[in-house]
Amino acid sequence: MIDTQKNSATKSLDWRHFLSNSGLLLAVIVLFIILALIAPNFLSSRNLLNVLRAVSFNGIIACAMTLMIIQGDIDVSIGSAVAWSSSLLGVLVIKMGWPLALAVPVVLLQGMLIHGIAGYIRVRWLVPSFVLTLALFMMLRGAARQITNAFPISPFPSGFEFWGGGTISILGLDLPVPVMIMLITFVLFYVISTRTVFGRSVYCVGGNEQASHLSGISVGKTRMTTFMLVGLLSAFVGILLSSRIQSGSSQIALGLEFEVIAAVIIGGTSLMGGSGSIFGTFLGVLFIGLIGNGMVLTGVSPFMQEIVRGFIILVAVFVSVLQIGTAQRTAG
Amino acid sequence: MTAQEEPVLHLDGLTKHYPGVLALDLLYISMRRGDVRALLVKFGEGISTAIKVLSGALTPDAGTISINGRPCAIRNPLDALHHGIATVYQEISLVSALSVAENILLGRWKRMRGLRPMISHARVRAFAIDILARLKIDVDPEIQVSRLSVAQQQLVEIAKAVSYEPQVLVLDEPTSALPRDQVELLHKVVRTLSGLGTAIIYVTHRLHEVPRIAHNVTVLRDGMLIDTIAVEDATPARITDLMIGGDWRGVPFKRRKVRAKPALTVKNLSTQTKLNDICLEINEGEVLGLAGLLSSGRTELLRAIFGLDEISSGTLAVGGTAVHNPSPMRMKSLGVGLTAEDRKREGLILDFPVMINATLAAADRVSRRGFLDFRAMRTLTHDIIAKLDVKTASMRVPAGALSGGNQQKIVIGNWLNTEPYVLLMDEPSRGVDVAAKEQIFNIVRGLAASGVAILFVSSELEEVLDVCDRILVIHEGRITGEYDHDAIDLGALMARTMNA
Repeated sequence: MIDTQKNSATKSLDWRHFLSNSGLLLAVIVLFIILALIAPNFLSSRNLLNVLRAVSFNGIIACAMTLMIIQGDIDVSIGSAVAWSSSLLGVLVIKMGWPLALAVPVVLLQGMLIHGIAGYIRVRWLVPSFVLTLALFMMLRGAARQITNAFPISPFPSGFEFWGGGTISILGLDLPVPVMIMLITFVLFYVISTRTVFGRSVYCVGGNEQASHLSGISVGKTRMTTFMLVGLLSAFVGILLSSRIQSGSSQIALGLEFEVIAAVIIGGTSLMGGSGSIFGTFLGVLFIGLIGNGMVLTGVSPFMQEIVRGFIILVAVFVSVLQIGTAQRTAG
Repeated sequence: MTAQEEPVLHLDGLTKHYPGVLALDLLYISMRRGDVRALLVKFGEGISTAIKVLSGALTPDAGTISINGRPCAIRNPLDALHHGIATVYQEISLVSALSVAENILLGRWKRMRGLRPMISHARVRAFAIDILARLKIDVDPEIQVSRLSVAQQQLVEIAKAVSYEPQVLVLDEPTSALPRDQVELLHKVVRTLSGLGTAIIYVTHRLHEVPRIAHNVTVLRDGMLIDTIAVEDATPARITDLMIGGDWRGVPFKRRKVRAKPALTVKNLSTQTKLNDICLEINEGEVLGLAGLLSSGRTELLRAIFGLDEISSGTLAVGGTAVHNPSPMRMKSLGVGLTAEDRKREGLILDFPVMINATLAAADRVSRRGFLDFRAMRTLTHDIIAKLDVKTASMRVPAGALSGGNQQKIVIGNWLNTEPYVLLMDEPSRGVDVAAKEQIFNIVRGLAASGVAILFVSSELEEVLDVCDRILVIHEGRITGEYDHDAIDLGALMARTMNA
């Protein structure tokens, strides 16, 4: 008798579980179908590639941000980190004449280092990550403007534009390089988050820090690694964006942090930490890209677009709150 | 197994002091392979210290822990596991986003050969299946823990502990959160484990579980080992006798004059989660005691009356006024107050000064047109400090700086300032020293004498008998008995509370 009760409980949970995990997938598919029906030129391969290109930079950072939020932290400094990395690259390469082969690794390393230090402060002195990265948000943007006088620095050596603006021809499709990089990053982070000790530790740290510590998981090392990954990918995107706009600029990526956080939340990652997935973030990124593209194609005003984006976040948060509610009720 | 076999676990005179308190006094326990020992205490006292010492969360002041005859130094939780003592705590400590298998091997995941940072999910799963099969636990190792029932999660916790291959497994009230029909599920696993030779310490205060699961029963009281008896001799009467001891006499109870006018009437109250068809009535000037175990629904009942938890059916009336949708605001306006069980989280704002804390609930008495009237606040706070004998340097020190007893007085004073008509008091004496306890009870008696109706919850049944005119017993969300003060003694009340 106990067993039948148990089974029916699991069964009724099953479809709810399915919906909560696949709701966004359904939403993306429905949105895709609607746009295919109403938006002119939506289905052209050129437009679809545009959608992907538009989200690629955000998508790359969103991978690391997902881990950050799962472990219960947040990073609002990434837009500034992108601009700072772009500016630094411009100064090193154009003003100081460093070769790209040297400047690029240096920029990547400093990104990892700065965020690594932030992570250390987070772990060592229990400073809330929001406050910490808010400080970084201001300092890095200021530093970027300081070293560039807030003017774009150009031009980079020829050939550099390939990474942010070039395409690779695969099966007759001209795939933008950043899109390829984004897809590779997502696959990589999917594997990290599901199959590595570090990735699973991120879930543990965010879900039950005390139990993780007692089970011998290095909570501090895990947190710091995530911070460093966010720093690394922010610097990386700074380099890609420099390549795309062919200059080192302190004015790029304004508000990028909130677009990325929005994509992660829409993807179903809980701001409370402990749950979320890279696949969800991928869908969140796609969803935002499709909505944006659909609104452009159907001639919605840019201001209206912002309202809609904000509203979507509201809906996403509401859905996740409802899910937590049902989960608690079924568990209790 | 021979009678001369060396004990797998031998505790020799474990002692632990806290400042001013002897939490654990000379604990001796000796267990053989496969023994299941029920550890019984009067409502949790001393037992948490014993568990913390065994699990490495506390180091004892004196005494030794020996495993298989070898004394071992246990300084932290990992030491305890290393020496073969695993503990399953009452609270679930699983990571809900991870699978059952990943949780069983939490932090010790099998790696891929040749690619160390990668987890070999196949090997983690194989390991988990092995453990689950050994314990005959029927849970899918691949399923995410968030989708399991509480009972299933508890079983996974045991599987996780067993994965450390312990000689001794400590279970801290493993069934307290389980519905009755799932307790047997857990007991089966305990029996299987005992059959495999693991010694098990089973901490509980559900007396009726003891004969079904244990071989021997050890009773502690006030941190002291009272006796260890075979389960055949452990009749409920004998156990409650050991738990109470002969030393409690109680203070002479003075009967108050209770007016025959109901102040609070609850009829057929139920909630979705816990309470089932609760009926009670408190008269003006009466102290009604609510005796029940920790998970009996006593706190939930106070919360439901005060409008903190949703009521699914039933009616409430305060002084003859029917209340349809109780909310804390509404109840307060009717003169109902609630002093919460967890004063640090629910009763006080620890960083705020005493003055603010003592006037939080009475905000309308210390403000005019939305502005705070500091003079009124000082006057009210001053009165409370004098009346309740609060020991504080000034009314400006943060409430968190006061001792537990004085904090509790502030919590009560906060509600006294609202001039309550009905006061719901949840464990007002928890974590309070003896002198302050008696003062608090005198406050309660004084309030009742002035006509306030009081619903009084305490884990200490002696206190309930000391203070209350009438006593209700609550068990698993139902009222299971009602007794006049003179109609029941401590032993009987304890037996009723434990549903023995």
